[in-house]
Amino acid sequence: MKRMKKYLSILLATLMALGLLTGCGPANETTSTPPDDSSAAPATEPGSETTELEGEITFWHSFTQGPRLETIQAAADQFMADNPGVKINIETFSWADFYTKWTTGLASGNVPDMSSALPTQVVEMIDADAILPLDDLIDRIGRDKFYEKALVEMTAEDGHCYGVTLYSNTEAMWYRKDLMEKYDLEIPETWDELYECAKIITEGENGEVYGAAFPMGANDMLATRWLHLYVRSAGETLITEDGKANLTSPTAIDGINYWVKVYQDCSPADSINYNTLDEATMYYQGKLAFDFNTGFHISGVQENSPDLMEYIDCAPIPRVNEGDPAVGCETNNTPLVIWKNSEHPEICEAFIEYFYEPERYVDFLLSVPVGMMPAIQGVTDNEKYQSNEIVQQFQHADEVLNQMLPGSTAIGMEYGPRPEAGLLTSQHVIEEMFQDIILNGTPVEEAAKAAEDELNDLFETVG
Amino acid sequence: MRNKRYMAKVAAFCFILPALLVAVLLLLYPVLSSIFYSLTSKHLIKADYDFVGLKNYIDVLSDPSFWKSFWINIKWTVVSLVGQILVGFTAALALERIKHCKSFFRTVLIIPWAFPTIVIALSWKWILNGVSGFLPNFLVSIGLFEKAPQFLSSGELVFPTLVFINIWFGAPLIMVNVLSALQTVPKDQYEAAQIDGASPLQSFIHITVPHIRMVVGLLVVLRTIWIFNSFDIIYLITGGGPAELTQTVPIYAYNVGWGLKMLGRSSAVTVLLLVFLLIVCFMYFKLLDKWEKEGTA
Repeated sequence: MKRMKKYLSILLATLMALGLLTGCGPANETTSTPPDDSSAAPATEPGSETTELEGEITFWHSFTQGPRLETIQAAADQFMADNPGVKINIETFSWADFYTKWTTGLASGNVPDMSSALPTQVVEMIDADAILPLDDLIDRIGRDKFYEKALVEMTAEDGHCYGVTLYSNTEAMWYRKDLMEKYDLEIPETWDELYECAKIITEGENGEVYGAAFPMGANDMLATRWLHLYVRSAGETLITEDGKANLTSPTAIDGINYWVKVYQDCSPADSINYNTLDEATMYYQGKLAFDFNTGFHISGVQENSPDLMEYIDCAPIPRVNEGDPAVGCETNNTPLVIWKNSEHPEICEAFIEYFYEPERYVDFLLSVPVGMMPAIQGVTDNEKYQSNEIVQQFQHADEVLNQMLPGSTAIGMEYGPRPEAGLLTSQHVIEEMFQDIILNGTPVEEAAKAAEDELNDLFETVG
Repeated sequence: MRNKRYMAKVAAFCFILPALLVAVLLLLYPVLSSIFYSLTSKHLIKADYDFVGLKNYIDVLSDPSFWKSFWINIKWTVVSLVGQILVGFTAALALERIKHCKSFFRTVLIIPWAFPTIVIALSWKWILNGVSGFLPNFLVSIGLFEKAPQFLSSGELVFPTLVFINIWFGAPLIMVNVLSALQTVPKDQYEAAQIDGASPLQSFIHITVPHIRMVVGLLVVLRTIWIFNSFDIIYLITGGGPAELTQTVPIYAYNVGWGLKMLGRSSAVTVLLLVFLLIVCFMYFKLLDKWEKEGTA
């Protein structure tokens, strides 16, 4: 009996150890064959008045906040009412969950008919031959209405555009007007001025408020973003035209040194682990004087600290030298894509076209006023948009963000869509480089060279 | 009579067959597929892959980051395990002695184990936040520190902090099991030892330990596997950082598989982990076997 118990224990322990491997098996081996090009084309002409749409589609999106979710649901409900043969199932996931869902679902064909996506993900989806070209749809909505850069980011080497930009958001420098006034400071226009202002506020507030919080959490990409802002403001890029990492140019080295200095003199020590939420929470709590973010900061502050609403505003990204032109550095264009596995791409196209009609599209933009910038030009001239309270209150911020928009792209996409851009932001090499410099005292040039080599090795895996 | 026994065995087998089938299918398929994919260039989202032989194993074993993660994992497991056993054992002995409100204290002490890991991780992250966290600010307010200690961002503090959280989290399980084992020790043996003039320490070493060491031994085996494989608590609190100071092998495997999408290489990491843990388990069981023989002798 005792021996039996022992064998049972051994068997259980072995099974537990084997359980280790369960997480690494692929979700499902069966790969569904993507339909060929002819079958992938819409079965019917979506723009045609006489075509009656019929079928069921699944729409995954990552707009988890209430108002955005509600406007999309309302549009879907109205579309289904107008097209009784159509059923739209909406499923909502956070961006992180969405990424896990589609990457694991792709192998088993368990992907939706249409979804939202991030620009770097679109490149991966194109690479995996998972989504359909949407040139006809873009032409029907009006190709000229879209910002050119946004379409370029979704255009593959084959010349087809695979995503329709739903909205854009541009990075700008957010600051606290009351603190600038308290310390009699001018809005910084150069990086050096920003450092000086941040240092004065940090010292003056004695731990109650920090000038800036340079975020380096290795499960996020904020240090990459902030270094990218510095490098782009000088007209350079973190990925060169020939697809190589650039962390050792004089500007990049200056940028790394600059942010290390900001961390040491103006940031909470904890920001070495900060991710997007930690960083934003600091700003929402009124504990940060400066931050880099998009117009989404307004809704964040409104929700968390409405008292601060009158004190926040944004300014263009600082420049390296005084007198340099203010340039846009980073814009994220969030697109909608249609998956190749879809049995009803014609319904997806028709719904997207329907959603872009001003009455629905403006409602969607106003669900996060100023945060979501329109993907198509001219739509904000609409009276409904202009009369919105937040739009009116943050008119200056809106102007700054619009000023930053032209010419800016997603990080690493300055020379068009490329898979290397995804690796630059998803592998956290730059975050770990900064942590290495700060915690281990590795010299900046040495750490930058090591990180550049590591990135180039990674780039070869997708090259 | 023989036929009856045979039929009883068949019936018993039929009853356990469904459970056995589920266990085998749920475990065997992923295990075999992991071993298979560890020999291929399988990518997370690409359909095509090639057979690459042992390349993934060579790549993993020649990656300094893997070895760094492995040693951190060993440290993490050993220190956490020793801490959990010491704290759990002490708490169990204390509870055994308590005369009043025993169940109340037992419930209170089991609380850390009862909460989901994500709640624990986020709570500790909030408590230890270097700017607004309760603990750093409390330590400053009572004058122990001049500046708020950075538990999760200091190179010296982050690993001990995580180990402390893991001990706090895992000790209750040890406590409950040891307490149950303590209750099975015959009380008359203590009385006999007392009559013979044995000290409390001698009673503990010669009566308590031999009676509970099999239970503790099995707990050590289980906890070793669990702690070695623990992913969520570390990932949620530090993500393996800063500067890979808390990156264990499961986090390394996750980064390779889900970050780099190199499922083949990630599978190789987990197969290596499996082999290592099986060796450790084998050694443990050899020891348990020896104890058992000593116990029956």
